Amino acid sequence: MNKVDLFKLHKADYIAPKKPQICYVANAHYLAIDGVGGPAEDNFNDAVAALYAIAYTVKMTRKKHNLGDYVICKLEARYWSINEECLSKQDKSKWHWQLMIRTPSQVEISDIKQAAMALTTKGKTNSVNKVKLIEYEFSHCIQMLHVGSYEEENRTIEQMQAFATAHQLTATGEHCEIYISDPRRIPPERLKTILRMPVQSSSVVKNIASINKLTE
Amino acid sequence: MRKKTQLSYIARMVNVVNYIQQNLDNELTLEELAQQANFSSYHFHRIFSGMLGESVKELIRRLRLERAAVQLRTSTASILDIALAAGYESDMAFSRAFKSRSGVQPSKFRKSEQASFPCLSISSVRYVTNEHISSFDPFTDEELNMNVTIKQVNDTLVAYVSHQGPYKDCGHAWDTLCTALAPEGLLGGDAKMIGVSYDDPDVVAPDLLRYEACISVDEVFSTTDEIAFKAITGGRYAVTTHIGPYEKLNETYQKFLGQWLSQSEHESADRPCFEIYLNDPESTEPEELITDIYLPLKELRNE
Repeated sequence: MNKVDLFKLHKADYIAPKKPQICYVANAHYLAIDGVGGPAEDNFNDAVAALYAIAYTVKMTRKKHNLGDYVICKLEARYWSINEECLSKQDKSKWHWQLMIRTPSQVEISDIKQAAMALTTKGKTNSVNKVKLIEYEFSHCIQMLHVGSYEEENRTIEQMQAFATAHQLTATGEHCEIYISDPRRIPPERLKTILRMPVQSSSVVKNIASINKLTE
Repeated sequence: MRKKTQLSYIARMVNVVNYIQQNLDNELTLEELAQQANFSSYHFHRIFSGMLGESVKELIRRLRLERAAVQLRTSTASILDIALAAGYESDMAFSRAFKSRSGVQPSKFRKSEQASFPCLSISSVRYVTNEHISSFDPFTDEELNMNVTIKQVNDTLVAYVSHQGPYKDCGHAWDTLCTALAPEGLLGGDAKMIGVSYDDPDVVAPDLLRYEACISVDEVFSTTDEIAFKAITGGRYAVTTHIGPYEKLNETYQKFLGQWLSQSEHESADRPCFEIYLNDPESTEPEELITDIYLPLKELRNE
């Protein structure tokens, strides 16, 4: 049986170069859960657990009913600030986030509702009821691999910002991450995270020549 | 304390080695050998090969060859008879094995007074006639870089599916288990993914390896016949973490039981080890897979 692996199928969306690079991430389906506060706070960890519980319950239930099998994708997160201030200047407790796991388009809302009901009955976290199915288009982004602790992301973000400035690209203000490594055991200095900086598409179109020149 | 236990591990293993020497022509089972020194048969072979630097099979084969060398020099038996006594089916096969270890053909070795007795192993255990081995230097890694913590573990109720065959083919047992548990809402949260490997793949044929895919549950529930329930016995456990592909788990087991345990002040209990898988092998690079290995220990006695 063929197992769908969206992470490998859409390799171009998950490029992890050592230097900033521009990519285009088209519309896709995700399981998602929203919240406010710093990563690693209790509600954040609870949301991660809820999201994974739904993801695996839906996957294995569909598999049981011969509805196809697929690999659970890496965890992704979008962070933004409600007053559009730069995230680094704002207190972490005011960060808005959306945690996402990319999911095949065959997965339906009814799958998620059913999974949430089964999980709640068995006393798993109530947050499973907050998991939803969304379509989302990241569109144009600057992307780069960050190796090291989450606290040290700034040095990588600075390189991405310099890239944006050099090519007159306008960042949307959102900060996105794709978690490659497991922070529970992998030592911080070896953690791999793909950082994604969405940029306004109009600025990409306008400066396409400059970007192409660089990638050549 | 530590030194004392290592000495006792050596003393116990000496009993096993002497038993092997005295029964070189018999078919010895691992259970029988484990009993000679009161080792748990689940862990005996890994402790043995860790301390001796070779497997039971290899040791027996080597001791028989060393005995054959002695017989070539001191007896008038034909080479074929000596070959058969050493467990070979023909003198050809014996010659090949003897030469590869000693550098000369058995016939040459027999005639030449100069040819020295084959040095067949770096282990300090050698074939001896009419005497016992009283001690040996355990085969140890110079730097045993192993992080081990001692944990008190509660009894854990699990739903499980048995698998027999190569460990790498245990995926279907996991599929059966996960597809049965998912609709019940039993995946996620605190549910632990536990694997019980009963056999050492170094001594048990791939087709006979026994494995259980287990997921911790709060209570027994009615489900298909393929799913069974049991409690994994709690108690004291030594725990180490293996980071890397599952194919290399055996290396860590080998080091954990063969090296760490025999140098520690602990004694293994007569129950199999289990593994807890901390990430999803489908979506994780093999090099980043994290597995905790739990080795059951005997309870400490107050002396």
